[in-house]
Amino acid sequence: MSRERTVEIVPEAGLHARPAALFVETVTDHEADVEAGPPDGDLVPAQSMIAVTSLGVGQGDELRLVADGPDAESVLDELERILTTPEDELEA
Amino acid sequence: MTDTITDDIDELIPASHISLSEPPAEKAACIESLLDLVVESGRVDDRQAALDALMEREQETTTGVGMGIGIPHAKTEAVDRPSLAFTRSEAGVDFGSMDGEPATLVFLILVPKEGGEDHLTILSSLSRALMHDDVRERLQEAEDESEVQDTLREAIA
Repeated sequence: MSRERTVEIVPEAGLHARPAALFVETVTDHEADVEAGPPDGDLVPAQSMIAVTSLGVGQGDELRLVADGPDAESVLDELERILTTPEDELEA
Repeated sequence: MTDTITDDIDELIPASHISLSEPPAEKAACIESLLDLVVESGRVDDRQAALDALMEREQETTTGVGMGIGIPHAKTEAVDRPSLAFTRSEAGVDFGSMDGEPATLVFLILVPKEGGEDHLTILSSLSRALMHDDVRERLQEAEDESEVQDTLREAIA
């Protein structure tokens, strides 16, 4: 079961530091393969911190997420929550 | 992709910012040794302020990005231009990466506080380059500072 959605990044520092760590941890904690990238560009494996860092996603940028696996829907829900929550309101 | 900030490797990472001898085995000391390369080249006004900014970032979450790579970084008023430094470790430095791999290639990035997107640009360009096996191998095997610069020039451009 493959699911995808595109999310606009809210944290001020972008997909970086703590939001990025939570993002990668969330992917690893779910039973789904997740890829991420710009809406019109190449996707990278979302469970790899260096790959996520390489995207250079800043505040206000859009990120496309594609998930495949039993947890596809729930992992996207959780990732969307992380990406749309200001960093100071984000809890682990 | 061409980013002006990473076009001039010699300006971003002069040979004096590269150390090919074994760094301290402990993360904080390793970061300090990289910072000192930038301090010695006269680019840091306030060493303690730069160090505090780097350590604050590490406390938030580690800069060990996996694949044997650590990229400690900070935005700080202590520098007035973007600067990169590099060292490598045969023993590996424990950066607490999620993949459990000790860092054998360590880059330090310092960017002026008002540097806007420079910080993300350098970090993402460098990460993109380091995802390639051959780039990491060349950095591991580089015989001198200019080989490190050449590798980065080709990989980041």
